[in-house]
Amino acid sequence: MEVGLTERLDSFVRSHNDKQLAAIPLALFLVALVILGIMFVSSGAPVKLGMEFEGGTMISAATSESAASLETKYSDYPIIDVREAGSRAIMQFGPMSNEQQGELVKEVTDTYSSVEIKQIGPVYGTALQKQALNAVIISFIGMAIVVFLIFKTFVPSFAVVISAFSDIIIAAAFMSIFGIELSLGTVAALLMIIGYSVDSDILLNTRVLKRRGTPQENISNAMHTGVTMTTTTLAALVVMYIVSTYSYLISSSFSQITLLSDISIVLIFGLVADLLNTWMLNTSILRWHVAKAGKRRRA
Amino acid sequence: MREEDEQQSLFKDLRVIAFILVLLGSVFFIQPWYVPGEGFTTDLNYGLDLEGGSWLQIKLQGAVTQLDADMNILSKKLIEDGIDESIDIKSIEEDQGTYSVTFTTEKLVTNDEIDILAIGQSNIRRSNNVSNVILYTSKSGMISSYLADRLTTEVIPEATTDGTEYEIRTAISQEDLSDLMAEVGGYIVEDIRGNPIYKEGVRTETRDMTKEILSDKINSIGLKDIPVKTVGDDYILIDFAGIDLATAKDIAEKPGKFEIRIATTENESVHAIYGDEIQSVGIAGYNDNDGQWFTPFTLTDSGAVALQEVAIETGATRNPLSHNLIMYLDDNEVYSAPLSPSAAANLDKSPIYSWQASTGGDEESKKKAEQLHIHLRAGALPVNVELIGSGHVDATLGKQFKTQSLIAGLLSLLAVAFVVYRRYGKPEILIPMVGTSISEVIMILGFAGAIGWQLDLPSIAGIIAAIGTGIDHLVIITDEVLYEGKLPPRKVYISRITKAFSIIFAAAATTIIAMSPLVLMGFGALKGFAITTIIGVLIGILIARPVYGKVIHEVLESSGNKNKE
Repeated sequence: MEVGLTERLDSFVRSHNDKQLAAIPLALFLVALVILGIMFVSSGAPVKLGMEFEGGTMISAATSESAASLETKYSDYPIIDVREAGSRAIMQFGPMSNEQQGELVKEVTDTYSSVEIKQIGPVYGTALQKQALNAVIISFIGMAIVVFLIFKTFVPSFAVVISAFSDIIIAAAFMSIFGIELSLGTVAALLMIIGYSVDSDILLNTRVLKRRGTPQENISNAMHTGVTMTTTTLAALVVMYIVSTYSYLISSSFSQITLLSDISIVLIFGLVADLLNTWMLNTSILRWHVAKAGKRRRA
Repeated sequence: MREEDEQQSLFKDLRVIAFILVLLGSVFFIQPWYVPGEGFTTDLNYGLDLEGGSWLQIKLQGAVTQLDADMNILSKKLIEDGIDESIDIKSIEEDQGTYSVTFTTEKLVTNDEIDILAIGQSNIRRSNNVSNVILYTSKSGMISSYLADRLTTEVIPEATTDGTEYEIRTAISQEDLSDLMAEVGGYIVEDIRGNPIYKEGVRTETRDMTKEILSDKINSIGLKDIPVKTVGDDYILIDFAGIDLATAKDIAEKPGKFEIRIATTENESVHAIYGDEIQSVGIAGYNDNDGQWFTPFTLTDSGAVALQEVAIETGATRNPLSHNLIMYLDDNEVYSAPLSPSAAANLDKSPIYSWQASTGGDEESKKKAEQLHIHLRAGALPVNVELIGSGHVDATLGKQFKTQSLIAGLLSLLAVAFVVYRRYGKPEILIPMVGTSISEVIMILGFAGAIGWQLDLPSIAGIIAAIGTGIDHLVIITDEVLYEGKLPPRKVYISRITKAFSIIFAAAATTIIAMSPLVLMGFGALKGFAITTIIGVLIGILIARPVYGKVIHEVLESSGNKNKE
């Protein structure tokens, strides 16, 4: 299957000119920006903030009770949401006093087994939000500096950085669409996208700029390697996503591992976006750059 | 014959030797073992989310700031509030930081009345029904006293090179503090750039002291190995392995039981007072007169009276040496010493409010006095704290997570192997590639075992991330080496592999840079993720992947030779 994908992608890249090629990922990038913008205007944040950034209490426990009955059972507390996941229920509570929280914790741990509790104060949540935003920005700038140091020329470096940026934006837009919350796990995933996305771009740029042969040949070769890289990673992530998210359907002795599930799904979005951005956006910019440099040399 | 030569050259290669040594070392640190009945065990440490337990994250509330005030307004306010009578300030003079405040009032004031305000020493003359008072005080003492009173908290001034810095040990916003200072004609001091000198939080020493009190308290109730960590300047994180959240909260919030008893016979003692009779505890100090370290503390009225009664009953006032004063915290003896002769004599006549517990004259005694300071507080924390985060994972759930992440990891590896096999169709590429990946996992785990790192879910995600980039890099090496579909001549091979590694190093550098903000920032949870990813990438590019480059060459060459035959 992956061989078929590479060949189809390769012939697509060969048969379209640079402008046509760049148009597809750029259009997607713009759509993603619009989605994030709409989310931002309507809710105050481009991506739905999870409990870790908003503050509140999350309790998950093994139970056969229905969501509705749990909601009435805990109606004395500021319960916001109840979700059933196989043999477990996940309850979200808004901010409450320390005493009230203590009571709730005691009640839940006495009643249910396999309990998981997480509580974050609103002030700390805001502090985490700021830190997370800083982490993503600093990571990105750090990556950009390293890329510029490696290639030392503007256009190829810029192509790598813009591809990585677009990967993150598209992944974030997917999160918005599917209602995946921004959590510590998904922030980690967004940072990993920076790491993964640059791998294939560096490969492409090095092959095209430093290897003899026509640019098109080098692009095809790089694509064979790069697509293999991305598909192996994607295969691992899809499996991790399925095991951490749905394995409870097979056996009730399993439960969702939210952190791993969040990280893998966001990385999957990012890597799919990366396939487009590397092999259409970065490739078209690079092909244009090499052609221009070639012309200048001849003239 | 030829093959044997190659094998030899492979095992003579320094990088290969290093690789094998590190791998063996890792296995040693992981110590995989099978115990009948218990199943598969290792020497690795797991985090709370995989082992079961709970954690609390606490924020220390407070502010560190520089302040100034109008001494006229400030002294008038403080003294009038203190003696409940209006005063007339005649003069305020300053000499090297010591202020002499002269005032008159119609009230008959005593030295004791001024002393109890705790702002300085006084000189009082009474004539014509007017008290003439000279109060020797300091501005920092007055400001601290004013704020401590208004905010019912401790305020600790400290002289620094650029002025007096005040640590306010409760939450107060910059605006509220400004308003409070404005009432006494004061303000928050600004630095040379015009920014107010105000910082939320407490001093590092205060944070460390809070941390120590918490550790002390938790260890004193018999819970060992509960790490109390400071995170940044204002946060403290406590991990309670195997303890549920409700119990953990009780432990952290409940003060200890402090008791003073007086010895009757060799092994027996009688109760005198409990910790709630202790009004305040001062900072440990050194007494020049008797050359001893001591911890000062004061008792409430009822406490002082109760202690006097028991001391007289037991005979401690007449024969102090055979009736030690013994202090207990949660039923553990923390101090035992006889009354000093002078204290014993005084106590026989009247109750004593201000006490000094002496610990001795050497360096060791200084530590004892500081320790006693903590004990006397009975585990009460020096600053107001706020619980800002907590978590809990059942042991059974943790075990489930552990098994499940293992399954996820193994299946992911199988998926990768499947894709690689479809792409190359050669077992001689598949086996070294998957083998390298597995060895990288073993080395990361070995490293974690060696440094006692706690593996939690984020760390496991980090390992998976590192393996993901690892496979990418192995694909780059393989494709670079197999550029024309077959192994190139030696010289070309070396230039190719160099190029492959330049790509890999560049990619690794960006991954490490992208992860490093998480290591440096205060996130507890994501630190593990970032560190394992970085360690994994480093192990990969420095130890495992060079060996893969070597092995893949040898393997392809020998299989190429076979094909020729």
